[in-house]
Amino acid sequence: MKQLRHRFKLLALFLFALFAALMLYGAYNIVNYGTRWFSSSHNPRVAAQKENVIAGDILDRNGVVLASTAEDGSRVYHPDAAVRSAVVHTVGSPENKVANSVESFMTEYLYGFRSNLPDLIRSLFSGGTRKGDNVILTLDSALCANIPVYYASHPVTSGRNGAAVVMNWKTGELLAVVSLPTFDPADIGVKAIDETGQPFWNRATRGRYPPGSTFKIITAAAALRAGLSEDEEAFWCAGSLQVDGQHTIHDFSGEVHEAEDMRKAFKLSCNPYFAELALHLKDERLRSEAENFGFNDNVLFRDLVVENSVYPTGVRSDYEVAMSGLGQSTLLATPLHMCLVAAGIANNGVMMEPRLIREVRSQAGSSVLPFSSEAYRTACSPETAAVLQQYMKDVVQDGGSGYRANMSGMDIRGKTGTAESSLDGRDITYGWFVGYSADESLPYALCVLTEDIDDGQTGGTTSALVAKDIFGYLLRTNSR
Amino acid sequence: MSKKKASLKAGKRLCGTVRLFFFLAFLLLFCRDNIGKGWSFAEWNWNGLILAGAVPVMITLGVSLLPRLFPADRLLLSLTNFLCALSVLILYDTKPVYARHQVIAYGIGLVAMVICIYLIRGIRSWRFPAIALMPLSLLLLALPLLIGEEKNGARNWISFAGASMQPSELVKLSLILSVSWFMSRRKMLPCFLFTAACLGLLMLQKDLGTALLYFGVALLLYWASSGNTAVTLLGAAAGGGAAVLGYRLFAHVRLRVAVWRNPWSDYDNSGYQLVQSLMAIASGGILGVGLGLGSPTTIPVFESDFIFSVICEQFGVIFGLCVLMMYVALIWRGTVIAMAARGSFHALTAMGCTVLIGLQTFVIIGGVIKLIPLTGVTLPFVSYGGTSLVSSMCLIGLLQGVASLNEDDLEEDAGIASDGLD
Repeated sequence: MKQLRHRFKLLALFLFALFAALMLYGAYNIVNYGTRWFSSSHNPRVAAQKENVIAGDILDRNGVVLASTAEDGSRVYHPDAAVRSAVVHTVGSPENKVANSVESFMTEYLYGFRSNLPDLIRSLFSGGTRKGDNVILTLDSALCANIPVYYASHPVTSGRNGAAVVMNWKTGELLAVVSLPTFDPADIGVKAIDETGQPFWNRATRGRYPPGSTFKIITAAAALRAGLSEDEEAFWCAGSLQVDGQHTIHDFSGEVHEAEDMRKAFKLSCNPYFAELALHLKDERLRSEAENFGFNDNVLFRDLVVENSVYPTGVRSDYEVAMSGLGQSTLLATPLHMCLVAAGIANNGVMMEPRLIREVRSQAGSSVLPFSSEAYRTACSPETAAVLQQYMKDVVQDGGSGYRANMSGMDIRGKTGTAESSLDGRDITYGWFVGYSADESLPYALCVLTEDIDDGQTGGTTSALVAKDIFGYLLRTNSR
Repeated sequence: MSKKKASLKAGKRLCGTVRLFFFLAFLLLFCRDNIGKGWSFAEWNWNGLILAGAVPVMITLGVSLLPRLFPADRLLLSLTNFLCALSVLILYDTKPVYARHQVIAYGIGLVAMVICIYLIRGIRSWRFPAIALMPLSLLLLALPLLIGEEKNGARNWISFAGASMQPSELVKLSLILSVSWFMSRRKMLPCFLFTAACLGLLMLQKDLGTALLYFGVALLLYWASSGNTAVTLLGAAAGGGAAVLGYRLFAHVRLRVAVWRNPWSDYDNSGYQLVQSLMAIASGGILGVGLGLGSPTTIPVFESDFIFSVICEQFGVIFGLCVLMMYVALIWRGTVIAMAARGSFHALTAMGCTVLIGLQTFVIIGGVIKLIPLTGVTLPFVSYGGTSLVSSMCLIGLLQGVASLNEDDLEEDAGIASDGLD
């Protein structure tokens, strides 16, 4: 009997453990996914609330009203078509054409589901229909509106699809998130929208592209972590490298860099060098470094939904590993994530969580959701970051592959990338530029992606131009 | 003695609070039903007011009057009655006609509970009942296969004379009683054969959720009575193997697992239930949207499988956690009763009831919050369903019966001790 009682006690503990698992799992999910579940477009409660509550306004960081509700209850967007089209992927559109825009993701505030009691009572007595909270974004809508113009102003990027992300690397505030092609939300339900090029798809947060040579930042970080000194690793670049006995990795347009160290290889974006480096590091270390930088992480940012970037897992051939060193193989990253990588280097290895919501204010003016910036993760040590900062400086300011982004008056650093993939049997080349301004007074990082650039063009000859325009805008507005 | 008095007083205060809670809640729903109907009383819906009176009376009956008949565990009674009344409240809010059925089932359940208490107190030798219950149970379980009807992919219902019932709910009781008796006599083979036969019949009914419960209870009781960890683990492994086999064999099991892994990939069809459940829980937030508000009825089968999501939406995650804590308290009381039992048959019966309630609660709540794949079992006391409520009340009746015997024994001991002093 005594043993029986002892085992009863253990059984009860077993059941308690099951219940503890229920509670912990439930609480964890509500905290992390609650908003995502609630703001799902399939939630019938939102449609019901729309009958009773007028949605709040959406403003940019300078107080420009980007979306508001008209007398008849319909949503109206910024009067200037250029502005409302540029921010449409972030702000949202009628009929919820864009997934996870602020209009749907912030539903609980815009439609007053989270109103506090005093405000509820006040609105009860003041009569009339209740109005939801106003959402103030971190975006600079003027910058967003300029970005499509910058793309159009260069023949090599004009008419191309792409994405650009600009953020403050100190605080994580996103100043611009633009996906091309854009569309005009005022046209929805009025006239047909040309859907070639998938305009409703937010490429900046949901588009996953091979990161190409921009990934060399991470390959270099892995090498530095592994203790390979940046100077010692001398390498003779013959313009190509044979891997697995059958594959040859070429340099871009057959350039030959001859003797080089990592610094020079990074500056010139030498493919054979980084392929060799990846083989030397092996898949395991390269993957773990990529994961330090947020690859394969199920990202759960507070303000926006971002697709996960992928570094493949499983057993892979030497050729695949070598190609991973150059950000090819089956690696995928979103433009927003690559912006985060550059921002992390700028911020001495600490990647700040990207924030899109500056504040949520009730109609009575009280702050419902104040701003707080938090670190997303620490990608590398400050020492590694310092080396990479120097490398990225060379790329732009010392005649490296990104020299076209250079500009006087600003300390611009970055990395170019030219990635290839095939889509529907056709080879497509993507031009990347990720970079940042190192000035403490201009703490901005950006990522510019141009899809389907012409043969012979690179990230350094396409996206770098747009990046320079954006840096120019930031310098002008900041000095003003 | 003063400690006992203090706990009695606390119990009374608790019971009073519970009654006040339900009185106010039903009053609120009564107001909601009749708002804007003017003063023509004939058009008013009086059901809310009737329940506002009736439910507190039933709680009083269940919690305060029953212990006068025989020594009972008041905390266990309070918890049970609270959960039953909560069920009536939620059902009245979402679908009033269900609430009427549930109140009737609640009444029958109270009577059944008393009957079970008397059975445990009255029957001296369980030899004959334990043996006789086995063929009877198998017959009952076979009935749905012969004359049953299929609901939600499982063929586990029978109906006669206008009422329908789920035999597997009643067989739970005989499973615990028979298995406990044989185990207390150290006869493992009959237990094994009987459980295997039950599981086989449940598999044929495609009622895999209930099969899982039977298996879990029988296995844990076996471990408790024998202490043979190796065989228990072997049994668990066999159960896992059977689960894999079920996954391979039944398309609806594969679908359940796929939905569990990602309900959002097919939210319009197979994932709809779970997605709606998760959205309901998320919509309630910490404090809930409030009784009578929100749209919990958009969840399919909100009244039985997903009633926990309804509770979470209306009363909030905090209240949901409190409900979980009530089950934890129930398990704790059940274990205490089992540990205080004098005979191993009574001890195993009490522990069997406790384990069954605990496992069943875990399996269904784990399903609706996406911790484990969903299996269609009911949330004890709370889900809509007469057979389920009555059988859960019977489980509590068995527990209470053992508890009252424990009390009797203690009093006898005290009597002997004081006799000795004289």
